[in-house]
Amino acid sequence: MKKNILSAAVAAVVAVLASSGAVPAANAQGDPYPKAAAALYEKAKQEGALVVYTVWDVEHIVSILDAFSKRYPGIKTSYWQGRNPEIVQRTVTEFQAGKESVDIILSDNAPPVIRAAGAIQPYETVQEKFLVLHDPTMPIVSLQIQALVYNTKKLKPGDLPKSWEDVANPKYKGNVALDDPMRAGPLSSQLAGLKEMWKDDARFTRFVKGLKALGVPVHKSTSAMFRLVVSGEYAICEPALLHDAMEERDEKHSPVQIIKSAPPVIFPRYGAIYAKAAHPNAAKLLAEWLITTEGQAALDKVGREASRKGFESKTSIEHAYGKGTKPIPITDKGFMEDPKKWLDTNIKPLWEG
Amino acid sequence: MRTPPFPLKERTISWNSLRLAYRQGVLIPLFSSVVAGSLIVTPVVIVIVRSFTTARLGSSVGFSFDNYLRVLHDPKILPMLQNSVVYAGGSALFGTLVGAILAWIVARTNTPGKALVELMPLYPILMPPVMKNIAWVLLLSPKSGILNNMLQQAFGIDHPVFNAFSMPAMIWVFGLTCVTLGYLFLLPVFLSFDPSLEESAYIAGSKPMRTLLRITFPLAIPAFLSALVLNFLRGLRSFETPVLQGSPGGIDVFVSKVYDSMSVDYNPGLATAYSAVLIALSITALLLYVRTTRFSERYATITGKGYRVKVVDIGRWKYAAFLAVFVYFLIGIAIPFVVLIVTSLIPYYDYDTFMQFPSNIDLGSYHRVMRHPSFVSGLYNSLALSLIIALVTVFSGIVMAFTIYRTKVYGSKVFEFIGTIPLAFPPLVLSLGLIIAVIGSPLYNTLWALGAGLFIAYFPYALRNASGAIVNIHRELDEAAWVHGAKWRHVFFKVTLPLLKPSIAGALFYIFIEAIRNIDVAVLLVAPGMEYGPVTLFEYFRVGQWAEAAAGGVIYLLILIATVSIAKFVFKIKFSL
Repeated sequence: MKKNILSAAVAAVVAVLASSGAVPAANAQGDPYPKAAAALYEKAKQEGALVVYTVWDVEHIVSILDAFSKRYPGIKTSYWQGRNPEIVQRTVTEFQAGKESVDIILSDNAPPVIRAAGAIQPYETVQEKFLVLHDPTMPIVSLQIQALVYNTKKLKPGDLPKSWEDVANPKYKGNVALDDPMRAGPLSSQLAGLKEMWKDDARFTRFVKGLKALGVPVHKSTSAMFRLVVSGEYAICEPALLHDAMEERDEKHSPVQIIKSAPPVIFPRYGAIYAKAAHPNAAKLLAEWLITTEGQAALDKVGREASRKGFESKTSIEHAYGKGTKPIPITDKGFMEDPKKWLDTNIKPLWEG
Repeated sequence: MRTPPFPLKERTISWNSLRLAYRQGVLIPLFSSVVAGSLIVTPVVIVIVRSFTTARLGSSVGFSFDNYLRVLHDPKILPMLQNSVVYAGGSALFGTLVGAILAWIVARTNTPGKALVELMPLYPILMPPVMKNIAWVLLLSPKSGILNNMLQQAFGIDHPVFNAFSMPAMIWVFGLTCVTLGYLFLLPVFLSFDPSLEESAYIAGSKPMRTLLRITFPLAIPAFLSALVLNFLRGLRSFETPVLQGSPGGIDVFVSKVYDSMSVDYNPGLATAYSAVLIALSITALLLYVRTTRFSERYATITGKGYRVKVVDIGRWKYAAFLAVFVYFLIGIAIPFVVLIVTSLIPYYDYDTFMQFPSNIDLGSYHRVMRHPSFVSGLYNSLALSLIIALVTVFSGIVMAFTIYRTKVYGSKVFEFIGTIPLAFPPLVLSLGLIIAVIGSPLYNTLWALGAGLFIAYFPYALRNASGAIVNIHRELDEAAWVHGAKWRHVFFKVTLPLLKPSIAGALFYIFIEAIRNIDVAVLLVAPGMEYGPVTLFEYFRVGQWAEAAAGGVIYLLILIATVSIAKFVFKIKFSL
């Protein structure tokens, strides 16, 4: 009886909070978010502001922050957008100068590096059980998903590589647009993921040396490289980003297609809390909200990939590859925190040796 | 009666010389130059010191040569440096030479269609270099390029004739972006040319071409070298062309080492150590310039004698000259602009889709750009700031050039190096130095810091422009004023500044256009919540959305073309003509 009353009371509180707009209705039952969010929101309102550093496009971050502000009014949001090296340099420099400049960093490669410099405040999300990938110190709010993509005008289905390893087949020489594996870009992280998954040095060596043997020039801009694949300059993109491929294929009807037999490679996109954040509760609230179905929908609206298990979106793994697809995760801490050292140890001897 | 400041025998640093400087009032330009120089030197010194004292992620390591030792032991730097010198040298020479020829045609010849001829070299300036890169990649790509496909379809040529991913194509595209500086630096010189020297040559029987090569162009050497040095340094540190065209062709340039130090190593100290190689090259180039122009009186074309600039009758060649300007207009802006317009209006680029235009017209990219949340406000902020920065930077550059070439203060030549040194540093490294300089002050995260960053980034252009032009003004004009009791302000404002007017207009225009599209320097200095136009508009280039980038670029270009045309025709503003 007591239990029922308690449950009813909790349900009533949740219902009130939901109706007042403080909790996304879709999450109101069965997860720890509503309670955590209510507590965070109280404190965040007192903080009154939230500063975000992000690598995401301005259009995207504005749309996401607008949705957040509608859900949680009373928190004034502002953002600064830069590339990963710029985010790292700015944040670390501010940290070393003791500045309370930023609250949350929304990015992929930058947060682990910033964490290694001691400028991240560890925070474990209360929604870890819902996540495809989990990091106990930085909530993973989205994913970077790499896909093996080809130009449908340049390759027939029968000639396609079946896996990532197949790309190293000499018959694709001259057709592969290859990201520079030494620049800590998507191909570097893919290699870190494959090495970790295969746990087979001979296989890994064969793959890297096979790519090298293709003798194709490497690209320093994944986006420009993908554009050349769309234009027909190359037939295969090693690798492309899933959201780029989906947008091109589904919205612009470009002649690109995903090779589904090569599983997607996933890299975390974090909502990392800055160590000297002036508004830490607002930052945690944003990170938590982004993981909710409502937050994930806000990400999906701008074409960003979801990090929540089973979340249906146009860039979700299930949608692009079909149910039951097992992605290749990149979780090598050594690579993520000091990519240069990892590349010098694991790739350079094979690539340049 | 006064004496000119600092006659040669008094060019020593002493209380007497300083007292004399005070009496003659040249302490003011000297002080202004010291202030401007300090602003430039501060971040430079910070990054240099940190290259000896910090390692990855700015961690302190005491005093160490580690970063420099890594550079010295890098086996790749020599071939990369070789590529850089060929690319930067080739582009600078090609671009500056074309700019000089265009300037001569516009300023000195009787080429028909004067109004058009004056405007045609001006408009390509408005197209950002990265837009040119994209357009030329689409035109010259071996398999998917428009020109190669056209040649294949028209003449059945199997193998590609052009290759966008080759050294000649890199030199071609970056060289086209170098034409601007050559044109703007040389035009004022040719416009203010005392024709008596050429007339003497004609009287002695010299033909126009010989006079051009033996008299006219040699007198323009200081301005030519100024533009050449600047273009060379720009080429050494340029990144878009090497990334978009170099790496797909297997051509690695030195500057990618600097960028890798920042983006893979996260080590600004190492990036600075790599930049030291660029600094050495910059100093060498500047020494060459200073040595070549050390007898500056030789190059003075503006003297105390009255004259009118003479237009040279080049006979039938005037039609060829018109054609040359028109071809440059086509190559410099018209063709790439058309490619970009079509690319912005089709769903995606490949040759077949491109050729189906206009049956497949799609305005989606324009809708997206126009809906961009900070399109209008960002553009307004950057327009206002760029205008102010252009004015301040150009004025400061002239004051510093005046200090170097007119006051003869002991050691003033050092300002040549100080004022040019920012060009040797990658923008990200330099902005980081500035951030460290101001982070503890109220200036941090304000428009002032952003303004200072842009000032430092563009000061070399202002100084080199003013230096090149001031050398062409004979000292006798200043001396006449000094003799009549003028102080520096009279000489500067009544004599030097009016004679520099054409150069000032050109430099203002150039720096305004460059500043308005700057991302590299601005990005670290923009405060959260501050919307800045270029970051918004050129974001599409960075994320590889070429259709949206082209749409944004087209809108941006149309706004600038409208602004330039309105300014030129309605307000009678002359940018450099």
